[in-house]
Amino acid sequence: MAAAAALSGCARVANRIGGAEIPSRLDAPAQPTSARRLTERLGFGARPGDLAQVESMGHAAWIRQQLAADQPDPLALGLQISRIDALRIDGNELRDQPQEGTIRQIQRATLLRATLSPNQLRERLADFWVNHLNIYARKGHAAYRLATDVEHVVRPHALGSFLEMIRGSSRSPAMLAYLDNTRNTNLGPNENYARELMELHTLGVDGGYTQRDIREVARCFTGWTLENRFLRPRGRLAFNPAIHDDGAKLVLGQVIPAGGGETDAARAVEIILAHPACARFISRKLAAHFLATPEGPAVVAAERAFRESHGDIRATLGPILTPEALLGAPPIVKRPLDYVISSLRAVAAETDGGPPLLQHLDAMGQPLHEWPMPDGFPTDAAAWSGSMLARWNFAYALVNGGISGTSTPMGRITDRGEGRTLAGVVPIRDAARDPNPVVQATLALCQPEFMWR
Amino acid sequence: MLSPRDWWSCDGQGGRESKRPRHATPASATAWPDVEGFTRRGVLATFGLAALAWAMPRTALSQVAVSPESNGNVLVCVFLRGGLDGLSAVVPYADDDYHRARPSLGLGAPNDRNAAGRTLKLSDTFGLSPALGALMPLYESRQMAVVHAVGSRDQTRSHFEAMNAMERGLAAPGEGDASGWLARHLAARPASTASPLRAVAFGGVMPDSLRGAPGATAIQKLEDFRLQTRDAQSARARLGKLYADGTDEMAVAGRETLSVLDTLNRLDVTGYRPQNRAAYPTTGFGQGLRQAACLIRADVGLEIASLDMGGWDTHVAQGTAVGWLPTLLQELGDSLAAFAQDLGPTMRNVTISVQTEFGRRVAENAGLGTDHGRGSVMFLIGGGVQGGQVHADWPGLAPEKLEEPGDLRVTTDYRDVMAELLSARTPNPAIARVFPGHRPKSLGLIKAS
Repeated sequence: MAAAAALSGCARVANRIGGAEIPSRLDAPAQPTSARRLTERLGFGARPGDLAQVESMGHAAWIRQQLAADQPDPLALGLQISRIDALRIDGNELRDQPQEGTIRQIQRATLLRATLSPNQLRERLADFWVNHLNIYARKGHAAYRLATDVEHVVRPHALGSFLEMIRGSSRSPAMLAYLDNTRNTNLGPNENYARELMELHTLGVDGGYTQRDIREVARCFTGWTLENRFLRPRGRLAFNPAIHDDGAKLVLGQVIPAGGGETDAARAVEIILAHPACARFISRKLAAHFLATPEGPAVVAAERAFRESHGDIRATLGPILTPEALLGAPPIVKRPLDYVISSLRAVAAETDGGPPLLQHLDAMGQPLHEWPMPDGFPTDAAAWSGSMLARWNFAYALVNGGISGTSTPMGRITDRGEGRTLAGVVPIRDAARDPNPVVQATLALCQPEFMWR
Repeated sequence: MLSPRDWWSCDGQGGRESKRPRHATPASATAWPDVEGFTRRGVLATFGLAALAWAMPRTALSQVAVSPESNGNVLVCVFLRGGLDGLSAVVPYADDDYHRARPSLGLGAPNDRNAAGRTLKLSDTFGLSPALGALMPLYESRQMAVVHAVGSRDQTRSHFEAMNAMERGLAAPGEGDASGWLARHLAARPASTASPLRAVAFGGVMPDSLRGAPGATAIQKLEDFRLQTRDAQSARARLGKLYADGTDEMAVAGRETLSVLDTLNRLDVTGYRPQNRAAYPTTGFGQGLRQAACLIRADVGLEIASLDMGGWDTHVAQGTAVGWLPTLLQELGDSLAAFAQDLGPTMRNVTISVQTEFGRRVAENAGLGTDHGRGSVMFLIGGGVQGGQVHADWPGLAPEKLEEPGDLRVTTDYRDVMAELLSARTPNPAIARVFPGHRPKSLGLIKAS
């Protein structure tokens, strides 16, 4: 309700019809009910019935439950995930399988979890961190190494220790190969990983490090490569002292003495993680993701929480994920993944997450793990302005049974008791109203305001 | 063995990498973090107006002023993915070191006794591969110019890095703006119209050069860009009402998209008949050019057409007069020649640039292919081109003249070519923003229109 109060002075005036707020003006994304806003901010949107549950629990309690992320996943999800080869089999053995299938399996796991897990915040954060530590699945053998990175580096720490996540990432074969550390040697240094470690992963481009620091960190990482010796487990992380630069280094003003060998890299990571820019950069990025802005009192508090908790993500999120901050923040554009999952959830679709569904994400321009640059999929609306036709075609296919392996229970769509909303979740404006419930549901998902969260 | 179509298939050292994704990637205005955006929103937040930020119209289009400054010129930017062997496309036949380095793969002088390996004379030093013969009339009528020993300063010889640098308009990768050079060109330039088809990437993949372009569209086939519903007309009408009056970015994007659909609906895309008896190859590249010609003829406000052609990563058995590389060159030459013939006099308003991320090693390898190198060639065809010349500050191919480990030196910066192209053909007040940190040199390749 804080949002309604905050917005009462501006141009938007909401009508209350049938329990849902319908925007009376069409020139801006709809003013959502508070519960709907929360489910879209913390997770991927509401399933039928979710909004009533959030209201009855109370906003603060529901947020606490999401932060705890300890609800059991439904059996159906567990069963589907447990059958995905790419998640079960060691990456180095996956190489016998076609790369295309491996990428599809990893994408499928993300889709199923985001759609079906009650721990919505955890799944949103998994997506956030996967993009934060982006790896391009089609560079080299990345596809085969990717699942290990997602399952063992990112997901365990999505709501846990940022420091552990970065330590893990700095030893992740997928990451080190993607950012060319396999070519980083004492004779031919490659600064790619060192640069992105500071610019994108920890300190931010204005984080106060210099070109010299990049060079020095790169020196610390020389020699870290992937095993390719005969009869050794190929593709594992390996340290080759012969190509390590063992001289003294100066990283962010701190000396790493000569002779450190394989401890240099870990030492450099610790120096970087302890730098004040790290707390600032990460809390700002988290705030931007949930509140659309990296400024304001919530961010200041988050930065302090990050420092005091030594990078605990749950603690850092505390000041950001308050009902007041979340409901008062401007809307954020849904990336294609957000749009697809929130649509699936709104109509309570059943899905196997297979290629026919994934192809829609491809068409919208967000094939998961296939963003070539290390900065992850863009977040700004302008980046996604080309995806509208693909979104509409997806909405139509979803509601009209056009996606094999995905079905929409018609009872949800034709629910007369909630005539002004789609399954009680998406408000329907006049221009989307239609006597044919299938047409109406399609148009509801196509509304401009449903492109925002 | 590497397939001719897998331009992404190698890591530069003969190892195998994987294919580029076959689907569109989105355009992005800036890499995260969006520092400028932060500041703007930060100011709003400071004044307690954060909640208002989303009520303010801030769309990609609103940042582009609409003015009647267009001269109707179109740029067709062709990128050859994988690294074209410039020394096989435009042969320095008078350079003895060339023949020493390419005992098996070398092509001969225009008057060579071996008819199959004879090049077509461009100048006293350079000859065109016979596979590109279709382009010869354009060169002779001074509509085509060649630039040799051209490239970027990127020395990684990695496809990924080299393309990254070039498509972002940078000297080397990993620095500067994440948006594409064509995107910055479009953004800096006053738009002539609010055409939804200002920039089109034919082939379904949005190239990085257009990353962040306002309203750029990736289209696989013009006829596939449609509402996939049973009754598309009624769907179009209903969407029109839904998107009639919103001012948020997605509502504006929706209207733009509907306008693209309407434009394409009006065109008879499938029925397009090339003129002047032009025959396009049936390949993806040939058909992409055919669709570009269709849009240019329809006068829908197209300013930039972007096309990719893959398969140039010729590490093994690349062929001389016949084989892998000549087949690709033939497709390239035939397609471009058909395009120029189709458009006829309209080519006065259309300029084609053909570039690649790097050239290849001067010495042929044991597999009768060539490895990743440095300098390559560019072709310029059409309106404004000072044709009939090979522009080359030729560094020579003697071993001591090569760049380690044995590559043709880059003596012309590709950005000089592109900057001249943009300045001469399209009024762009901010070339410095398109190629940050670069002070372009005049090359005398394009005259102002």
